[in-house]
Amino acid sequence: MAAGSEVYILGGYQTDFARNWTKENKHFSALMRESVVGALEACEIAPEEVESAHVGNFAAELYCMQGHLGAFFTEVDPAFSGLPTSRHEAACASGSIALLAASAEIEAGRYDLQAVVGIEQMKTVDSGKGGTYLGTAAWFEEEAEGIDAPFPKLFGRLGDEYDKRYGLKDEHLAEISKINYANAKLNPNAQTRTWYMNKDHALDRSDDNPAIGGRIRISDCSQVTDGAVTLFLASREYAEKWAKGVGKKLSEIPRMKGWGHNTARLKFDDKVAESANDEYVLPHVRSTVMNAMKRAGIDGVDGIDGIETHDCFTTSEYMAIDHFGITAPGESWKAVEEGWLEIDGKHPINPSGGLIGAGHPVGATGCRQVLDAHLQVTGQAGAYQVEGAKNFQTLNIGGSGTTSCSFVVGTD
Amino acid sequence: MSSLSPKEMRQLIASRKIERVVVLGANGTMGYGSAALFTQAVPEVTFLARTKEKAEDGLAAAVKQVRSPTVANRAKTGSYDDDLASACADADLIFEALTEDFDLKKDIFDKVEGARRDDSIVATVTSGLSINKLCEGRSDSFRKNFLGLHFFNPPNVIVGTELVAGDDTDPGVVDFIDAFSTVLLGREMIRTADTPAFAGNRVGFKVMNEVAQLAGEIGVALTDKLIGPYTGRAMTPLATVDLVGWDIHRAIVDNVYENTTEANDEVRETNKLPDYMATLMDKGVLGNKSGGGFFKKDGKTRLVLDPASGDYTPADEIDLPNLGYIDQVAALHRDGRYKEGMAKFAAAEGEHARIARKVIAGYIAYAFQRVGEVTETIDGIDRIMGMGFNVAPPSVLVDALGASATVDMIAEAGLDVPAALAEAARTGEPKRFFNHTRINVGKFFVAE
Repeated sequence: MAAGSEVYILGGYQTDFARNWTKENKHFSALMRESVVGALEACEIAPEEVESAHVGNFAAELYCMQGHLGAFFTEVDPAFSGLPTSRHEAACASGSIALLAASAEIEAGRYDLQAVVGIEQMKTVDSGKGGTYLGTAAWFEEEAEGIDAPFPKLFGRLGDEYDKRYGLKDEHLAEISKINYANAKLNPNAQTRTWYMNKDHALDRSDDNPAIGGRIRISDCSQVTDGAVTLFLASREYAEKWAKGVGKKLSEIPRMKGWGHNTARLKFDDKVAESANDEYVLPHVRSTVMNAMKRAGIDGVDGIDGIETHDCFTTSEYMAIDHFGITAPGESWKAVEEGWLEIDGKHPINPSGGLIGAGHPVGATGCRQVLDAHLQVTGQAGAYQVEGAKNFQTLNIGGSGTTSCSFVVGTD
Repeated sequence: MSSLSPKEMRQLIASRKIERVVVLGANGTMGYGSAALFTQAVPEVTFLARTKEKAEDGLAAAVKQVRSPTVANRAKTGSYDDDLASACADADLIFEALTEDFDLKKDIFDKVEGARRDDSIVATVTSGLSINKLCEGRSDSFRKNFLGLHFFNPPNVIVGTELVAGDDTDPGVVDFIDAFSTVLLGREMIRTADTPAFAGNRVGFKVMNEVAQLAGEIGVALTDKLIGPYTGRAMTPLATVDLVGWDIHRAIVDNVYENTTEANDEVRETNKLPDYMATLMDKGVLGNKSGGGFFKKDGKTRLVLDPASGDYTPADEIDLPNLGYIDQVAALHRDGRYKEGMAKFAAAEGEHARIARKVIAGYIAYAFQRVGEVTETIDGIDRIMGMGFNVAPPSVLVDALGASATVDMIAEAGLDVPAALAEAARTGEPKRFFNHTRINVGKFFVAE
């Protein structure tokens, strides 16, 4: 295993995930421009300083009839013309894959300052068509073709698998949803910050909270939206110079202390069959999380002050709880009941609201999680700040637990 | 906005229980909307109205508004005569949302005062009546625990909320309600002075009324195009008047007009309701709720009002002058080039661009002139305009235009230049007025 990285995260900018850019009559280029310009301003970086850019995106060809997204970066500022850029795709983990590629280039010494953009515009199509497009993150022909809402059904089956192995109660899933929505109310860029939610509603079994995939109800789902997040990653040399310029010490600038990345087999049934004798339902997710901690020199979740995890559905957060080691395998419900997941709890999860509360513009999510981790460890998370946070960990998942990426973001 | 840290706010909330809320006037739009909001965070919310049936109607409307039958799990209903005394005796927070009628509110507060516990908080959702006058002559405990908590309609969508303390309100109560509303109700809290229409409606309705005056001079269709989305708003001012209702609009601008003078409001006449609106209101025109106002729908055809005659013409039969500059600004906004878009607007030639600039310059100048009167800094006005009215906050417009261009625009409009803007144009400081770096300012510049 390679030594811990020396990749610094200078900061970034998130678009408001409640926005519908089609309604604002704006082009994909505006979404890219706002996030990049916002990040340049937030970090006080001149466009001329940027050396390279990586764009994470799932399916702009489908949603926006637009490919070649790396090239779109050069449209943002005349100084970007000629820069080396690229685009990365791994379904809902696309943003994290772009971050991994950018950080690897910094570790290799190729560039000192990289822009990473996670971006997705999804409100261009209705939910039926959008659901089908999302199905391409699974093995489309075998798991999604002709199926209404394929992903809620796949993650409903994740819940079923837990139920079979360990038992699972809906009220624990409802509590997870409630916490994410409550946290989202504190986040000025969360998609659902004005949506009605409490425990009663999360447990509502009427047509106002319909079932859409097995045990998965609307209140268990993250929702598609439009959004972009840009981050700046830098080498130690650049970070030192930059810190001086903005009046900070290098030790105050968060680093990407550790990373994890695994890809499991594509089909959900194959993953579950592989883990039949394992205490973890998705062992590759477990190894992603543990590798990131190991590389960060942290020997367990007690060394992590908060988590931004991939709660595309309540079942995926339920899975994350034991996979992070917060409880023994199959006992995630204990963390829910003990109140550990709340902002002031022992193991805060998704103070931002996560995907359920903050929104899930697919290709942007991995970057949004790392930006939130950055805000937390620099004390800039505002009303959803976890007090005194030094180390935050992310978990970003593509497909039905297929591609997993995790980062530990922290200061010294 | 509270000066407390998030953790301190959470501790403050934990220090005092709000387990029972009573909403008075729960059959009205603000009543049931607010009551629904409270059910997200409070175990028991009592909907009260003149009759139990009306309160039930309010509950049904609340369920429909937030699309959750679970509102009813936490709701009780009742009438003033039968239930006000017992409900108020048990309540931790009593929330008044009656019609904007001073005497009506005074009467209900008499009843509340006789029934409430000394430690309960009493809040009013009034959008502009004086908080001090509403609690005048009441007991010490009432005045200490009384404040304005002005949600905007509909409260489940619009988070901008004004918090108005009276002279005798306990600062601890103000801090508590601020924290409670921020953390548990997801509100963006703005503290304002007890001035007519407070901050948001004072500035917001001034612009809407001035645009309505303009519509009487140059026509509804042209006015609506000139003060369109490209100027920093999702909904045009005239469409907004139709949405809130002409009667509500009138109540707000009349209140401001009557309670200000030329000495303390430099453009007082812009708050005078246009005569044609009064005439048409006598004939029943109230905006969307009466089936039409400045605009109305006939099947799929959009009809536009002729203010002089009260007749309607299909929108596509109205000839508008060449307003090519608006298309150019909108095209820049569409690509996310907002500053370039606003620069194009500032430089556009011709009478019509000048008319549009006069309204926007008037908005910015009026807001900056109100600093120290309605809020302590421009920030409060910025936040309520952005998060209460969903229009570009004045500081966002100044930052997009640049201070010099803004000052030129205000001077072109023949208005006094607020000192802070003159200073910024002269010295280049501050470099920006809107400092909420995480709030997307781009969302206000809608492309057409």
